[in-house]
Amino acid sequence: MSWHAGEPLLVAYAAGDIDDARAFSLEAHLLACPSCRSACARLAGRTRLDEAWAEIVDRVDRPRQRVAERVLMRLGMKGHTARLLGATPSLQLSWFAAVAAALAFGVLAAYAGDRGLLMFLIMAPLLPLAGVAAAYGPGIDPTYEIGLAAPMRGFLLLMVRAGAVLTSSTVLAGIASLFLPRLDWTAAAWLLPALALTTAGLALSTVLDPVRAAGIVGVAWVTGVLVVERLAHPSFAAFRGTGQLVFLALALLGVWIVGARRDRFEITHDE
Amino acid sequence: MERADERRDEALLAAIAEGDRGALRILYDRHSPWLLLRLSRRCSDPGLVDEVLQDTFVAVWRKPRAFSGRGEVGAWLWGIAIRRLVDGLRRAGVRERLVPRRRPSLEGLRPSRWAGAAPSAEEQVLLAVEHGDLAGALNRLSPELRAVVQATVLDGLTTQEAGRLLGIPAGTVKTRMMRARIQLREDLT
Repeated sequence: MSWHAGEPLLVAYAAGDIDDARAFSLEAHLLACPSCRSACARLAGRTRLDEAWAEIVDRVDRPRQRVAERVLMRLGMKGHTARLLGATPSLQLSWFAAVAAALAFGVLAAYAGDRGLLMFLIMAPLLPLAGVAAAYGPGIDPTYEIGLAAPMRGFLLLMVRAGAVLTSSTVLAGIASLFLPRLDWTAAAWLLPALALTTAGLALSTVLDPVRAAGIVGVAWVTGVLVVERLAHPSFAAFRGTGQLVFLALALLGVWIVGARRDRFEITHDE
Repeated sequence: MERADERRDEALLAAIAEGDRGALRILYDRHSPWLLLRLSRRCSDPGLVDEVLQDTFVAVWRKPRAFSGRGEVGAWLWGIAIRRLVDGLRRAGVRERLVPRRRPSLEGLRPSRWAGAAPSAEEQVLLAVEHGDLAGALNRLSPELRAVVQATVLDGLTTQEAGRLLGIPAGTVKTRMMRARIQLREDLT
């Protein structure tokens, strides 16, 4: 490099005492000249730069927030709650992708005929059931140990997580059902069963571990619907009026059991 | 006294990508002074300038591989910093716009009249040789035109970004650039 900025020029630049043209020239030069850059080090305030560095270190050391966490904090949730919620395995992008894929297959199957639609209606309520089972518990939850030490009661955390999972699965399934071939009552027939299965899973997990509870409820659901479909005459028998009432009743029963046995969620699940 | 680290900036970025905080510190020590000076010439709010400086290096820590490998690392850092400044000014509103820190009485004066910053005869010759009388022509532009030239040509901003930086509509940036070009061309030919 043929030309370097002398000290007087840099001092003038730092003080704002040079014309624009020379400032342009100097700034372009600084981009390419390490020695003139280090000459600047004496001119910019040392304390100011050190304080800025301390801030940078602080921010760099702070743990990165996941997407779910940021969304929740934007919605007004407190930091620690958002962090525990954001760490839920069934609120991660990969989980949503899997749910979306399953729903997509279900919708495609529905276009193949009524049996396909039945498969969709059987599958849709299983999604929140699986999601809630995957939301807590020692085997699955990466924050389980942390959650044990958290100031928030375990039951409350579980309810918050289950609520979030249920809402998100329901919203996704709702969007998927808009693409079903028939947009009649069948498009929403999975809603109450979803609620019923989820609460049944939670209720049963006061006795068994969550994954096993969800498994039992899931199997019972699939078997039950298929059996009813075989034995009863109208199609989608399990989902018609009486069926929906049964699901509503089951949902309410599940909620009551969960409420009555909520202290069971505080104990570690090491059975 | 420690020997100053002799790794090139690109090598420091590679180390930062591996999580080496010491490398970030070295990069910071090398580049924060001139970044601070250059930012301060575009924004009179020291709080915002500090924030932009921090944002820049936190961004470098998070995505060191965003540097394409082409050109100078310093230019890449400036690109991050100026865009953060544009965003910061847009959020801060009209209050803290670009304010030249030059003393107004020095506007348009020939270099030899400035106390303490008189370029040496060599520098004057070099400037004349390197730039024709571009320096003089640039200085003869009005401040608004010069500001637009600085933002688009020197800082590499788009017309939208330049508008946000200077607090003017993008259309005004375009017309001022056109006027600046016309005036420079007339002045230099």
